[in-house]
Amino acid sequence: MSDAESHAFDADMRRANRKKAVEGRSVIFKIKRCDGPGKPSRWESFKVPVEQGGNVISSLKWIAANPITTEGTKTTPVVWDSGCLEEVCGACTMVINGRVRQSCSCLIDEYAPLEGDAITLEPMSKFPVIRDLWVDRARLFHNLTRVKAWVPIDGTYNMGAGPKETPEHQQMRYALSECMSCGCCLDACPQFTKVEDEEKWDTSFIGAHAISQARLFNEHGTGKLLKGDRYEELAGAGGVSDCGNAQNCVKVCPKGIPLTESIGAVGRGTTVHAIKQFFQGKE
Amino acid sequence: MQKHHFLLRRLHSLTGIVPVGVFLIMHLTTNSTIAWGGLNSRAHGDGWIDRSIATFQHEVEFINNMPLLLLIEITLWASIGFHSILGVVYAMSGRPNNADYKYGGNARYTLQRLTGYFGIFFIFYHVATLRWGWDWLPGAAKWSHEHAASTLAHALQGSTEQFTTTGLFVSIFYFIGVSALVFHFANGLWTAAITWGLTISRKAQQRWGFACAGLGAVLMIMAWVSVVGFATLDYEQARGVEEAMKLDSLPIDSGSHTETAAVEQTDIDG
Repeated sequence: MSDAESHAFDADMRRANRKKAVEGRSVIFKIKRCDGPGKPSRWESFKVPVEQGGNVISSLKWIAANPITTEGTKTTPVVWDSGCLEEVCGACTMVINGRVRQSCSCLIDEYAPLEGDAITLEPMSKFPVIRDLWVDRARLFHNLTRVKAWVPIDGTYNMGAGPKETPEHQQMRYALSECMSCGCCLDACPQFTKVEDEEKWDTSFIGAHAISQARLFNEHGTGKLLKGDRYEELAGAGGVSDCGNAQNCVKVCPKGIPLTESIGAVGRGTTVHAIKQFFQGKE
Repeated sequence: MQKHHFLLRRLHSLTGIVPVGVFLIMHLTTNSTIAWGGLNSRAHGDGWIDRSIATFQHEVEFINNMPLLLLIEITLWASIGFHSILGVVYAMSGRPNNADYKYGGNARYTLQRLTGYFGIFFIFYHVATLRWGWDWLPGAAKWSHEHAASTLAHALQGSTEQFTTTGLFVSIFYFIGVSALVFHFANGLWTAAITWGLTISRKAQQRWGFACAGLGAVLMIMAWVSVVGFATLDYEQARGVEEAMKLDSLPIDSGSHTETAAVEQTDIDG
């Protein structure tokens, strides 16, 4: 592990790195590349000049314009996915120096402050790679449908205004609503593993994001109409009880969402739901 | 498995606490009397260690005379078996990533699984040697409830005369084994509270974490003094106390009352 890889760990270190960043330097990008689904992966390095305030995406753009490795061989431009470029869409999530995060908000000064420092880029480890750093996060969205992470408002008549909401409750729900479905919590979770076979998605661990979204919509005045369905799903195989409490999810969440509190709350919900079902359930 | 997923998961969590965890607390309390059982030695007018040996022997006899002991044992066996088998299945479903994510919680996640695996191995050895007397196992010495402390000293020291190399390995194995199980229980108690939904807020999880760490620390000390206590116990001394107790407990109406008393008298004098 190079020096550059060992820092970039906690926020204090990153701040310190920013202070000692050298102007006009070049840094090395070690990128894990793959030409397509099922194809073998390989490592390629690129030497990239750092512009002021440069981030991983701006560096990837430079590489796309100059796709020449450190060995001097011409290669194909590196492919990546991105959208908003302001850390609210989650599309550019990748593994940087071994840890998952958004690449748009990843400043080079914080990760590679000195001439020749290296930054490694890998695609997310829990989703199938489409090409290079671009992954298919379909399972993440599929898991949101498993817990019906929505408010049931479609109908044939007007359901009227929803119930009143206290500011405290609104604040609690607001924190949960910040989820952008980036998948950091899943990539860092030791219990959420890569599942290639789509048939097995419904019985594999659902992940912190979906558990937290289930809580968000269970707390919604109209959304709670589907509470029973959500708890039914979360009590099943791959539900909330598969959580191993490593609590990496809450540590890596870029939005600081209290995911472990959601896991506790949904754990309580399923416990109560199961007891109710035992004594008064029909089936 | 899938139909009763939730029930199995919750039973797995429950059996870890009741009866297995509760049994662990009782077991360590009994064993650690070898260190603190001498607390009432002055009242009995004998030495600290003699009284500790006697207290331990007394506790073992109390357990052996419990009603429905077989039922208690079967319940324990079934619970440990259930918890172990499901535990391995659940542990295999995860992929630890401690090298990249060096958080305390993540380390405890992996340790919980490693101590689980090691715990199964340790419990098997522990019971197979001491209880079942499988003497082909390395360092095996059968335990006898009539000579509770001395036979344990024999097992942990490798012989009845001196502390051998085998004894050193067995003692270290026990030390690691009990430490692993105490950690597994204390940490399991912490995660169980999240699983069942007792602790939700970060603060609540933290508070309960301190409580579990406190319990774990107490149990850890009890476990360590037990191992150290038996590993350093003098075999002959323990044997002597146990023999004296045996004579003490001979039935009075056996027709040889005076004889017994006489033997007892000589024994104490000698």
